Amino acid sequence: MVPDTPLSKPVPRPSPESRSFWDGAKDRRLMLPRCNVCGQFWFPPSQRCRHCLAADFAWQESAGRGRIYSFVVYHRVYHPAFENDVPYVVAIVELDENVRLLTNIVGTPPEDVRCDARVRVVFADTDDGAVLPKFEIAP
Amino acid sequence: MIAPSQRLRNACAIVGAGNSRLGQVPGVSSLDLLIEAMANALDDAGLKPADIDGIIVRGPDDSYCHHQQAGERLGINARFSTSLDNGGASQILSVAIAVMAIEAGLATTIICGYGRDAWSRTHKSDAARVKNQTRPDDQHAQEFGPEYGYFGAVAAHAFGAQRHMHEFGTTRENFAEIAVAFREHAMRNPDAQIRKPLSTADYFKARLIVSPFGLFDCSLRSDGAGAVIVTRSERARDFKAPPVMIRGFGSFNNLTGWFAADNMIRTAARQSGEAAYRMAGLGPSDIDTAQLYDCFTYMVLVQLEDYGFCAKGEGGPFVQSGALRMGGRLPTNTSGGQLSEAHVEGMLQIVEGVRQLRGTYPAERQVAHANVALISGHGGNQVCHSTLILERG
Repeated sequence: MVPDTPLSKPVPRPSPESRSFWDGAKDRRLMLPRCNVCGQFWFPPSQRCRHCLAADFAWQESAGRGRIYSFVVYHRVYHPAFENDVPYVVAIVELDENVRLLTNIVGTPPEDVRCDARVRVVFADTDDGAVLPKFEIAP
Repeated sequence: MIAPSQRLRNACAIVGAGNSRLGQVPGVSSLDLLIEAMANALDDAGLKPADIDGIIVRGPDDSYCHHQQAGERLGINARFSTSLDNGGASQILSVAIAVMAIEAGLATTIICGYGRDAWSRTHKSDAARVKNQTRPDDQHAQEFGPEYGYFGAVAAHAFGAQRHMHEFGTTRENFAEIAVAFREHAMRNPDAQIRKPLSTADYFKARLIVSPFGLFDCSLRSDGAGAVIVTRSERARDFKAPPVMIRGFGSFNNLTGWFAADNMIRTAARQSGEAAYRMAGLGPSDIDTAQLYDCFTYMVLVQLEDYGFCAKGEGGPFVQSGALRMGGRLPTNTSGGQLSEAHVEGMLQIVEGVRQLRGTYPAERQVAHANVALISGHGGNQVCHSTLILERG
């Protein structure tokens, strides 16, 4: 575990349940747990299906497309490592697989971001080797 | 529908209410603030600690067995004693559980309270000010949040505001009216943390925090506490203060999460309110004053809809009509609320509801003909909700 210093951004600290998600991101694949019994996806990852509680599931790659359910724009610096990022967009993206992820919208000025805009996944490298799935407005 | 038994309607009453010093109270712990409020509530009722046989509190997030610590400081043992964990919904839940415990014969006279040193905690150093956290680090998310720069309750609620604006055409002017109305109320409250006049122009001039929220959409960081005393209504006239009846209560918890479904624009206030209305045998048109959990301006607007004071999506026009002001259709957060009086996670909303129904305020603070008050609590990770309906005794 890498301790946060004021100048480094927090790193995702995978749980046993989420490790496959973060490992997938390193391979530039957006991986989601999908139930082998009812066929539905869920998120955040856990060991049983959130729809039918079955324990039989597999990791499946998402198509990486969806829409912005809602978003906010950070103007205040809550963590010194984000000082050069403000204003930045944090969004809830609803994937076409019907799960919602917390993420960033990149590549579009904050004032042009809208709810319900279509988005697609991009993968952002970080200094510490983790890769973060983020989203851009789909052309 | 499922609702608390109507047999409990007006079975119990609040016979004492008190608050501690509010705002910036350096050098006083959460627990000492709580005891200060409890002492004031006891004095208000004309009771001594030994008259209390039940304690229900919510501890700060990093405190274990908070009720035991409160009992130690009060110097009492208790028949019924526990701490709750529903965030800002805990305070009303403590009153509801007090009624249930009393009716079950577990106790006769229960003190409920909450206190915290949020201003002191977030202002003890430059680092603490930047972090602005009231919870210990190890209780914060380790993934799916901080790595994306997602911190704090402001953003969580701003997501709801943004979606509501998108679906219903709500505007920041509507949020401004809420902030301005509550500030006007706080200016009449000598205990309020902030009493400086606030105009709509001031609201729009203020810096953005996490848009769509600016500074005045956000509640205060406050030191403070409140407490109330619950007992059976047939004893309620034996005390020093005029009693206020506990006519109804309800709760609902959208445990699937704030991000799930439309939970951030159709909140648990709806089902919680329906349960409380049913227990009380009342509806929105019977409510004379509301004391709503106003952690952010938007939360007031969405609750007004969810409680049926206006239709879904009509919260903006409703507040813009002046409804929340003294003399309006529904004077709301008449002490200034968490946006201007002090943020004590819903506890002061209960205290203010009691005081309005006693009808003993000076005219400028008194809601005319205040017979029924609706009070709300909201919290946890934005998904726990509780409702209290109080009636003049």
